[in-house]
Amino acid sequence: MSEERLWKFGKPEWMNSATARGAGVYGAGALFSIAFFVMLDASVWSKHKNGSAIHISFIDWLPLIFSALGMLIINSIEKTRLSANSFSYSGSGVAWKARVVLFLGFASLAGGMAGGVTVLVLKYVVAEAPFPTLYMGIANLIANGLVMLSSVVLWVSQNMEDEYSYNLSL
Amino acid sequence: MTAGLKTIISLSFVLAIGFLLVILSCALFKQYLPLLVVATFVFAPLPNWICGRCSNPDDFVSEGSGNAVVDFGRFCTGFLVAMGIALPVILAHSELIRVPAMIMSIAGGVLIYGTIISFGMFFQEEQEF
Repeated sequence: MSEERLWKFGKPEWMNSATARGAGVYGAGALFSIAFFVMLDASVWSKHKNGSAIHISFIDWLPLIFSALGMLIINSIEKTRLSANSFSYSGSGVAWKARVVLFLGFASLAGGMAGGVTVLVLKYVVAEAPFPTLYMGIANLIANGLVMLSSVVLWVSQNMEDEYSYNLSL
Repeated sequence: MTAGLKTIISLSFVLAIGFLLVILSCALFKQYLPLLVVATFVFAPLPNWICGRCSNPDDFVSEGSGNAVVDFGRFCTGFLVAMGIALPVILAHSELIRVPAMIMSIAGGVLIYGTIISFGMFFQEEQEF
C-alpha cells in the first residue's frame, strides 16, 4: 500500500480502526439530524414566536431537500467503481457512469448551498429584516452547511473501510 | 449470576429514574410534548439492530461494501439519538416548553438510552459463549 501513497503524511493509525469508522458513521447521522432540526427549529419558531410578517414557507425547505438528495446520491455510489481504470469494471463504462452520477450528486449538494444563500439574500437581506427574523435565513444556511459536513464525514469514513478490510483479509 | 442480578436491578432503577424525569418534565408544566423524547430514544437502537440482522457477517471482506446495510442502520441510529436531544431544545427555543422541562427531559432521555445500550452490551456477550 505504501508505494501507492501520494501524500507525504500518511494516515494516522487510529483512522483505520473499525471503531473510528463506526464513530464516523454515527457522527454523520447525528450531523444530518442536527441539520434537519435546525431547519425545523426555524420553522417552529416562525409559527409560534415570530413577530414579523416573514414566515417560513416551502421555498425555505427547498435548498435542504436538494442538499439531502445530493447527499443520498453521493453516498449511494459504489466507491470502488470510481477508480476502475483496469479492464475489470470498465466493460460497459461503469466508471464513466459512476462519475456522471457523482457529478449530479455534487451539483445537487452545491445547488442546495447556493439556494440557501439565495433564500437568505432575497427573502431576508433584501427585505432588511431585523435580527430575530434574520435568524430564519441563517438557519437555512447552517442546515445546508451541516448536510455538506455530514456528507463529507460519511464519505471519509466509508473510504476508511477499504484499507481496513484489506488489512483484515491479509 | 449474582453480578447479573445486580446489573439488572441497577439498570431498571436507572430506567425508572429516566422515566420519572421525563414524566415530571411533562406533568409539572401541563405540557405533554416532551413525551416524544421517550419514543425517540426507545426507537433509536432499532435500526442498528434490524440492519445488523439483515447483513451477512461473511460478506464484509468480499466486495468491500457488504456492510452498507450496517452503515445505514448506524446512520439512522445517530439520527435518532441526535433527534432525542434536539427535540426538547427546539420546543424550548420556541417557548412551547420551559427550559427546566427541556433539561429534565434531555437528562431522562439520556438515562433511558444509556440503560438500553448498557443492557444490550451486558447481555450480548453472554450469548456468544
